[in-house]
Amino acid sequence: MVELPTEEFVVNMGPQHPATHGVARLILTLDGEKIVKIEPVIGYLHRAIEKVCENRTYAQCIPIIDRFEYVTAMSCNYAFSLAAEKLAGIEVPERAEYLRVIMLELNRIASHLLFYGVTAMDIGAVTPFLYGLRERELIVDLFEMTCGQRLTYSYNRIGGVSRDIPKEFIPQTHEAIKIIGAKLSDYEGLLNENPIWLARTRGIGVLPKETAIAYGVSGPVLRASGVQYDIRRNDPYSIYDRFDFDIPVRYHGDCYDRYLLRLDEIRQSIRIITQALDGLPGGEIRAKVSPNFKPPPGEVYSRIENSRGEMGIYLVSDGTKKPLRVKARGSSYNHFEVLPQFGTNLLVADIVAIFATLDIIVPEIDR
Amino acid sequence: MGLIKKLPYYSEKIPGGAIVTTVLETVLHQAQAKSLWYLLFGTACCAIELMCTGASRFDFDRLGMFYRATPRQADLIIVAGTITKKMGPRLRRLYDQMAEPRYVIAMGGCTISGGPFYYDSYAVEKGIDHIIPVDIYIPGCPPRPESLLEGCIHLQEKIKKQKLSDWQEK
Amino acid sequence: MTKDELKEYVSTHFDGKLTPLDTGRYDPMFQVKVEDLLEVARALKADKNLQFDFLCNLAGVDTKEHFEAVYSIASISKNLRLDFKLILPYDKAEVESVQEVWPGINWYEREMWELYGINVLNHDNLKRFLLPDDWDQGYPMRKDWDAPDFKRMPEF
Repeated sequence: MVELPTEEFVVNMGPQHPATHGVARLILTLDGEKIVKIEPVIGYLHRAIEKVCENRTYAQCIPIIDRFEYVTAMSCNYAFSLAAEKLAGIEVPERAEYLRVIMLELNRIASHLLFYGVTAMDIGAVTPFLYGLRERELIVDLFEMTCGQRLTYSYNRIGGVSRDIPKEFIPQTHEAIKIIGAKLSDYEGLLNENPIWLARTRGIGVLPKETAIAYGVSGPVLRASGVQYDIRRNDPYSIYDRFDFDIPVRYHGDCYDRYLLRLDEIRQSIRIITQALDGLPGGEIRAKVSPNFKPPPGEVYSRIENSRGEMGIYLVSDGTKKPLRVKARGSSYNHFEVLPQFGTNLLVADIVAIFATLDIIVPEIDR
Repeated sequence: MGLIKKLPYYSEKIPGGAIVTTVLETVLHQAQAKSLWYLLFGTACCAIELMCTGASRFDFDRLGMFYRATPRQADLIIVAGTITKKMGPRLRRLYDQMAEPRYVIAMGGCTISGGPFYYDSYAVEKGIDHIIPVDIYIPGCPPRPESLLEGCIHLQEKIKKQKLSDWQEK
Repeated sequence: MTKDELKEYVSTHFDGKLTPLDTGRYDPMFQVKVEDLLEVARALKADKNLQFDFLCNLAGVDTKEHFEAVYSIASISKNLRLDFKLILPYDKAEVESVQEVWPGINWYEREMWELYGINVLNHDNLKRFLLPDDWDQGYPMRKDWDAPDFKRMPEF
């Protein structure tokens, strides 16, 4: 066998590509088929959300913060409302807290179903895409019944929620989560023992525990590397300490574990929703907040456990009706930053699998 | 399309030759309108509604539309999502790579005029029609899948009203 | 440790380099001098009772009198959270990079330089990345920035 001399060449996985979820760009330096260096380039969706929020009142900021992470828009609204409520010291009524938890967990299930469909399509299987989105439509129907929108809800407001649920909501929710719980075994039967899926994802893209903590990785990616940290349990907000649920953890840190962990999380969310629906009290849905909301001067960093990781809003107020500074911290920023650390023994097809299982959404990076 | 562009010039000279043009136009319209292949170009929130339109409940495939990953094989580009100043030249380059006849649908408020980012944003292009020529505008933030399907049906009507003399070289 | 115990512990240890402020409404907030930054960061990570090894956020702020750089950090093993800030005057806005303590802060510092103009010393890759490549209109997130096609929303 004669070794042919080769030289490295540069390939652009450009902003328009079916496997980058949105407009992210990677510049790959290749030696044959193996990757030598990865350089991420961002900024193609920088819409200056933070500058826009500085010229809006607190209530007008909520639809703008919705577009920060549109797949789980309920979490974005909730993080901002939580920050504003902590600044002003507002007490939220009980019924509003229960409704918020139900909506947050339904949104988490919808986001994981979308992850399932899109990841399988990137790696090559097209059928799970149609299955995942079909079940996601059941949840989107529930949201449309309550607040009228399919994607960017603006449902959480400062002090509570904006509308009460109609009377068909509770039976239809029970129906939807029963169907989704039953279909999960179909999804696992399609992919879990499939030899092609195992060859593409098992042992690929291992992220060690120390690298994950050093680079600020959070959420399912951190829990798949063996660290049991979930903000709902370790740093609780809202009424999550009243519910009984487990935090799934896996220890290999490869793509297969990240995929399995998210399916486990759907089951835990179904448990939380069932408990919350059983204990839903009556009462007010929103605390009395004046239309001319002016919190006292101060600053707060509020964080919640989103379906992708830790989402934080850092809010500074100077006593007027517009915020002085709103900084939104998304977990995909750190996940994209840790991509060059995955090692140099990768093929081009492995990068697609790693990118898909990290579950990156580009507007969280660029804002 | 080279021979087809020259054909009406010659066939008009023969008495009764206009029937060749009309028959050819009908066949071409059916072929183009019923099998538009679109380029996967989703930037922001409207991209999720585009994916939902292509999935199980609202189906794009019944209109003959199917996604392609490269602009050389597509004849429709659905611009879904905000276009920023950094992305503008790349969109122009993708449009230039498509072969004629090519059509553009602008989906969502951000592509029509900048959407919720018109005021106070320093990096958003306020509308895409000064970068590429647009055929159909679909308003909404984001528009429902039914609106997108109606926009595509309007595009099919528009294609059927075109004449061969629009493409003819003078 | 509760939040008050944490505030007490941090104010008394570390030679008083972290002075407590009372503007934080959720977590304790401290102020650090610009020249002590790297030493304080190393000490917070190495302390056996605290072990702050996770960086959450670095934000630049332009109050109309000075710049601020606000760091939010967390401890995974002990479930603690802390914020601290540096106050930078307008004419001398520079910070040291703390990349060796928390490697994930690389992109946060780069963004703070690009949008505010706060210089970061000893950073290995201070290049433009969020704005277009041919941007020549200054630092957009400052409060006194303006441009010809920048429209402000009218008051009503």
